[in-house]
Amino acid sequence: MRSDHTGRRQIRVAIVDDDAGVRVGLRRLCEVFELGVSVYASGHEFLASLDHGCPHADCLLIDAHMPTMTGVELQHDLLSRGVQIPTIVFTGDDPDAVSAHHTGLSVVACLRKPVESDDLIAAIERAVGAVVSDPDGPR
Amino acid sequence: MQFLGARHPPKTVQGSRHLAASLLLFVPLVFAGNQIGSILRYPDVGSAVLFVPYAVLTAALVVSRPRDWVWYILIDSIAHFVTHWPQWPMSWVLLATVANIARALAAAVLVARLCDGIPRFVGVRTLWCFVVGAVIVAPSIGASIGAANVVLHGASDDYWRPWRAWFTSNALTAFTMLPASMALFSYTAEPNRPRVERRRLVEGVLVTAALCATAAFILLGSIERTNPAVTLFAALPTLFWSALRFGAAGASGALTVITFAAIWSVYRGVTSAAGPSDGTILGLQFFMFFTAGPVLALAAIAAGREAVVQLHRALLASLHDHVALLDARGVMFEANASWRRFAESSAAPLHRARTGDDYLAACRSSAERGDVMGTALFDGVTKVLSGAEQHVEIEYDDPEPGRHETYAIRIESLERPDGGAVVTRANVTARRQAQLEIERHRRELSHLARVNLLGQLSGALAHDLNQPLTAILSNAQAAHKWLLRDPPNTEYATEILQDIIDDDRRAAAMIHRLRSLLKRGDLRVERIDAADLVSEALDLSRSELQARNIEPMTSINPAAPALLGDKVQLQQVLLNLILNACDAMNDVEEPRRRLELSVASDDLRTVRLSVRDWGVGLPTDLIERLFEPFVTTKSDGLGLGLSISRTIIAAHGGRLWAENNPGGGATIHCVLPVAEPPEVATAEPTSTLPDAVRH
Repeated sequence: MRSDHTGRRQIRVAIVDDDAGVRVGLRRLCEVFELGVSVYASGHEFLASLDHGCPHADCLLIDAHMPTMTGVELQHDLLSRGVQIPTIVFTGDDPDAVSAHHTGLSVVACLRKPVESDDLIAAIERAVGAVVSDPDGPR
Repeated sequence: MQFLGARHPPKTVQGSRHLAASLLLFVPLVFAGNQIGSILRYPDVGSAVLFVPYAVLTAALVVSRPRDWVWYILIDSIAHFVTHWPQWPMSWVLLATVANIARALAAAVLVARLCDGIPRFVGVRTLWCFVVGAVIVAPSIGASIGAANVVLHGASDDYWRPWRAWFTSNALTAFTMLPASMALFSYTAEPNRPRVERRRLVEGVLVTAALCATAAFILLGSIERTNPAVTLFAALPTLFWSALRFGAAGASGALTVITFAAIWSVYRGVTSAAGPSDGTILGLQFFMFFTAGPVLALAAIAAGREAVVQLHRALLASLHDHVALLDARGVMFEANASWRRFAESSAAPLHRARTGDDYLAACRSSAERGDVMGTALFDGVTKVLSGAEQHVEIEYDDPEPGRHETYAIRIESLERPDGGAVVTRANVTARRQAQLEIERHRRELSHLARVNLLGQLSGALAHDLNQPLTAILSNAQAAHKWLLRDPPNTEYATEILQDIIDDDRRAAAMIHRLRSLLKRGDLRVERIDAADLVSEALDLSRSELQARNIEPMTSINPAAPALLGDKVQLQQVLLNLILNACDAMNDVEEPRRRLELSVASDDLRTVRLSVRDWGVGLPTDLIERLFEPFVTTKSDGLGLGLSISRTIIAAHGGRLWAENNPGGGATIHCVLPVAEPPEVATAEPTSTLPDAVRH
């Protein structure tokens, strides 16, 4: 984790979603909370970004349904590469059913789309084990 | 005689009661006939001039059951014996009786056989059969035995003179009396006799009076003294009258009376003890014989014509539809009872037209008053009467207030030299309502199928809809935060709001598309671009395809012309085919999980949409049956999707069929007619195409 101007380490998240609108929206939301954000249109793009097997993020936000590589496939791929990264999965379906697919993988939370900012931040905090600061005061 | 009984069982009269009735008539007739025969004889040859028992016995045999024949034959023989024995030697009487019986049997069997039961003399064919059997063959048989009898007993040296006398008298008897005798016996035996109309009864009395007058004239104006032929010609009007109006039976009755009158007048006019000469009698017989032929023929033809007219009337009357016949000018010359009843109960001038009215003029005046129906009818009747159209059909709602009926009028040209037309009006309200009901059910079913289809897609569709909603919520929450900052970052917030607007529109468009598919709407025909149709169907199913890991491909001919159809229904068909293709690939491994949608234009008049999969293929025995309702290859399918799809495509004037691909999997093809077919393409396909290519 990089340090920000306050001296605290900046939490970095990677967003993988095939929908450009969703990517932009989530990036903006995360940026409000002064998180470092990188976006990827597909699982393959994210895998390509790995630096010697290390992700440039502390937390991974992925869409469960993606055309070329689904969320589960991406996680299995990461697992096989030995990459351990706490992951938050978004889904339009029943989150409980989706999280069952991800059993045994490093899934921290399964969130139903559309995502409330509070739920998202709470999940990220759980994933990275750190408090996300709200520049605008208490949530 | 089994064949005979079998041939006309319904025509023969059953039961002893009828036998008794027949015998009651038969006994006096046959005794009187024998007496008359013994009085009216050829002076030289000695045989009867007219032999009534021949006609009476033959008629009784033809009408009765073969098992009753023995009674008639027995009584006839007794009568013959009583009349001729002991004046004549026993052997002569016996052989003459044999001749009589053989002749009557031959006549009865031949007539019943050739005429198929009791001859009805309707048309000339029966008359011919009757003449051959009863006038030629049977008298020849009788004459052969009778003449031999005469020669054997030394009454004549010449065989042919008595033969000729026997033959002529019996042929004349059959020709003049037999039809009337048969009518008399079948009338006696008829269990339920039809009631005679009053008018007919009066006419019968009149013709009988005329007949009596004629007979009296012939009798009083003795033929021997005047020119015989001239007196006999006086009988022709009455004979023709009875033939034309009372059939063969009436004509035969009249002929009998006239013949007797003529023969009797010959005997009356002669005072010499030697009696009339054979030559005179023979001449008279020839005259009657050659009069009877045409008169009976006339009767048969008139009866045939009457039967045709009655059939035609009965046919018209039996038709439930309203039928009117128009002549070439459009004047109604006949209408059936249904038409007349409807005319009486209607107020509309067009409906009130009846026999004798100028229907075409009624249509014209109705058209001039601005009645749409009148215009259509006038147009149709004119076209058919002029020969421009063979038939015209018009459907319309009853214009009269309070009547919610639908009628179909069919104007058909009358195929005859005089021309004309048949107008048939049928009440088709029930049929129309049934059609509407079927159409409503079809729409409902198709709607249900569509809802079901979207239900299958619901997971994928929810995901699709969630994407813009997710973007909107995240953007909105971000913008909210930026605006709360001090100072608020309005510039960035504005940019975010623009994205929110776009995403919202994206969601709205999706909902709109879904709504149009879920809506229960009427058929809306519009121009549709096949490529748009395919891409929209793919948009709707894209998420489903993703979820199922199926890769969609398209192969679209950009030059394919536009279609004409209902977008929602065609969309439904395509979605159905796409989902079927997906189901077919459930157990197929990754690289083959592909789906191809193609748009091709095989000719200028049609566009072909195809959905190809690389799945398990279709069982060959199901390939055609697949489109029948409740036929499915899926364990959880209802088997209605393809049947509804085919109905939809058929309603668009297209065709839907399936085939297995050579490399595995199946393709469903759907051919639809284009919106604007090239006009000359069918007439000169070879000459127009190269031109189009050159320019």
